[in-house]
Amino acid sequence: MTTHSYEQLARDFREGHIDRRELMKRATALGMSATALGWILIHGHVPATLAAQEGTPAATVSDRLMTVSSEQASTWTRNFNPLLPEGSSNRWPTIDGIYERLFIYTQINAEIVPWLATEWSFNEDNTVLTFKTRENVLWSDGTPFTANDVAYTFNIFMENEAIPGNGGAVIAPFLESIEATDDTTVVFTFLQPYTIGLYDIGGQMIVPQHIFSEAGDLVTFTNENPVATGPFTEVVRFEPQIWELHRNPNYWQEGKPHFQGLHIPAYPTNDAVNLATINGENDWAANFIPDIEQTYVAQDPEHFHYWFPATGADVHLYLNTTVAPFDNVDVRKAISMAINRDQIVEIAMYGYTHPADTTGLSDAFETIKDEEAANAGWATYDVDAANEMLDAAGLAMDGDVRVMEDGTPLEFELNVVSGWSDWVQACEIMSQNLSDIGMRVTVQPYEQATWQTNVQNGDFTMSIGWSSQGATVFNFYRGVMSSTTWREIGESAGENWHRFQLEETDTLLDQFAATSDPAEQQAIAVELQRLYAEHAPAIPLFPGPQWGQYNTMRFEGFPNEENPYALLSTYSDEALLVLNTVTAKE
Amino acid sequence: MNFILRRLGFYALAAWVSITLNFFLPRMMPGDPGDAVMARMQGRVQPETIDAMRKAYGLSDDPLWQQYFDYLGNLMRGEFGIAISAFPTPVTDIIRTSFFWTLLLGLTATIVAFLIGNLLGIIGAWRRGGLVDSVMPPLLIFVGSFPYFWLALLALFFMGFEWGWFPLRHAYSSNISPSWSLEFVGSVAYHLVLPAASLVVVAIGGWVLGMRNTMISTLSEDYVMMAEAKGLPQRRVMFNYAARNALLPNLTAFGMQLGFILGGALLTEVVFSYPGLGYQLLGAVRNLDYPLMQGIFLIITFSVLGANLVMDLLYVRLDPRVRGA
Repeated sequence: MTTHSYEQLARDFREGHIDRRELMKRATALGMSATALGWILIHGHVPATLAAQEGTPAATVSDRLMTVSSEQASTWTRNFNPLLPEGSSNRWPTIDGIYERLFIYTQINAEIVPWLATEWSFNEDNTVLTFKTRENVLWSDGTPFTANDVAYTFNIFMENEAIPGNGGAVIAPFLESIEATDDTTVVFTFLQPYTIGLYDIGGQMIVPQHIFSEAGDLVTFTNENPVATGPFTEVVRFEPQIWELHRNPNYWQEGKPHFQGLHIPAYPTNDAVNLATINGENDWAANFIPDIEQTYVAQDPEHFHYWFPATGADVHLYLNTTVAPFDNVDVRKAISMAINRDQIVEIAMYGYTHPADTTGLSDAFETIKDEEAANAGWATYDVDAANEMLDAAGLAMDGDVRVMEDGTPLEFELNVVSGWSDWVQACEIMSQNLSDIGMRVTVQPYEQATWQTNVQNGDFTMSIGWSSQGATVFNFYRGVMSSTTWREIGESAGENWHRFQLEETDTLLDQFAATSDPAEQQAIAVELQRLYAEHAPAIPLFPGPQWGQYNTMRFEGFPNEENPYALLSTYSDEALLVLNTVTAKE
Repeated sequence: MNFILRRLGFYALAAWVSITLNFFLPRMMPGDPGDAVMARMQGRVQPETIDAMRKAYGLSDDPLWQQYFDYLGNLMRGEFGIAISAFPTPVTDIIRTSFFWTLLLGLTATIVAFLIGNLLGIIGAWRRGGLVDSVMPPLLIFVGSFPYFWLALLALFFMGFEWGWFPLRHAYSSNISPSWSLEFVGSVAYHLVLPAASLVVVAIGGWVLGMRNTMISTLSEDYVMMAEAKGLPQRRVMFNYAARNALLPNLTAFGMQLGFILGGALLTEVVFSYPGLGYQLLGAVRNLDYPLMQGIFLIITFSVLGANLVMDLLYVRLDPRVRGA
């Protein structure tokens, strides 16, 4: 099936040449999936992901291996257990490469791509979620994949809370039961409506029941020879410095992947990866490279490319709101206005991203942003206004530093992870900026685990840090201003390090999770954005760029600005789409 | 005998202190392995997932003293636990593979530096004021006073990256599998050149100076004069009479060096991504992998203690004065 015919169909429908019924008839004739059809009905065009996939001419399989660097390690240890989270100790691409999920949510297009599931729906009161699983999918050992494998996978998390998974452990507390009613139907019954759990279910890697039920302890199971549904499953070589993963002989997408396999060398540090990338050894990598135009692209402008879309969660400046004067919203806003985000983005981030707005949301949520919330004004650089707000808040100047009413000068430490050079530089700039409004801020670098512990325990006054991201705005706002994530100082909080909660947020989040109607969710999302813009619980700095470099010497078809069918980052959920789309050059 | 017993007592005490420090030091670092995973993923993992991960790692909530006694018990049984950063690989497996590479790198560098250094020292002292004597010691001491990892970085950048003479990383070429073939051994040797050379260059100055100075005082000994008077060939006087005696202090130092081999080239391994213990230790520290850190520290401290013990015992054998003391 070609994109052309799909697009033709979408155009005919959009321009009114054919009606709904005719569209459905023709789409079925073309073999289009129900979800893709639904997309055309709502949006009037073909989903970008589908267009990119279907548009690639069916090439013959090349025997070439693609060299990829995703994780850094001194030596490889053989572990392909998909029940451990990505980045812990299983090898990339155990998650989204060897194993697959029910559907893939693409951050870059805000689209859902059905994968091992073809369709799903909630019942009337959003307490039962039913998935249809894909037919004619085989595990790499030839055993058929069925709905039983899906039910088995989720029941693992119901029975053992020490198994993390990639969404499984998150959703298990909300579920009452998971049951396969026939070979292609799985029914999830929720304890209460929790519609955003859909994404946690969709994100979990599905494992084969016939292998895992006999594997013993699933936490220490190393799964050395994985049996999976993904495009690459055959570990043909595994050595401490290098390993090779070849294509799945029984892959359900015929003709894919387009090349023989992956070749994965062990690089210990960022520097080692970058050196190899600049040397042209890596075909695909996802790393921060300083001044990339000069250091990388200039070495071979024809083949060396990068793409850093700003869709990662906003990097924030967190002010501990239990500490005076950071409990005052005007002070927080004034601090935000004193920060020169353009300077931070240009100097510390090499222009890879852009200043954040007052919704705290990144470019991934561009389409649902509320104009009013995004332009609340307190993310605009204006030192004079900031000074006036601080004067009004009763923080008077005493010499070159402001003091609180009890005479304590505004002197604080700003925590950062030592060695994360982009963040350290951003903090240096903020420290200078804040001296213009009479604050003495010293940058205090910590080792990464120490920094992490300090922010989680609330043992800090100011710190730079990331924020939460999910398929919807739910995760971000829950993480930044709800009571669910709020903890006492000294108690470890995975999110909400700055300790801020609002009753309104809780109410809105409950409503959000109780509905599966996109329009209703969008209305709530707007209210959440306005709430954030009003209270400035934390200070957004810039959306996080998603790293990715590729080399077209040997392979082509990587996503980029012109063809944004997925993120270019190896570590993203969308990496599977890239693995399935890239072709070897002649 | 008395002396040996006293030494053994001292070493037993030192071993216990190092085992104990080894337990408490990593635990004084804030954070736990779950935090490290979270920081590495920069928030891309949900907090609930990390909580489950902590349970999976089996991080103990027992009081510290109880953990300490469990740890001592496990050590007695030779159990080092499971490496968290390479979960669920046993620590001993990781140490076993990296131990070999560290030993290879350390031994090669130490032996080469020892041989060349002493030879230069001997020649320098024999032809006092000659070219070797006047140029080599100051030059080598100058080079030797640079931090070894900085020289390693220079070597990597110029000879590895800019000129492409040597490989940039690893202990052997990734295109071949380990075997006893000529190709593999050749590849190992080729990958060894830069890291070993960067260590040799730094270490050599000390050997030259030490050898030259003892050699000069030995040369003024009566037995050397005697040998010359007997009309023995120059070469024989130089090596068998003078150098042989002058070598003793350097030999002790060599023994000490052997003990430091395991811990002495940590940063070189990091620079060249050489898969030895140092390289593993860096990873362990980054991931707050207590069991692996403990295992590696223990191997390093015990090798230093062991080498010292062997040297002490050898001294008893070599120097009768020690025996009486």
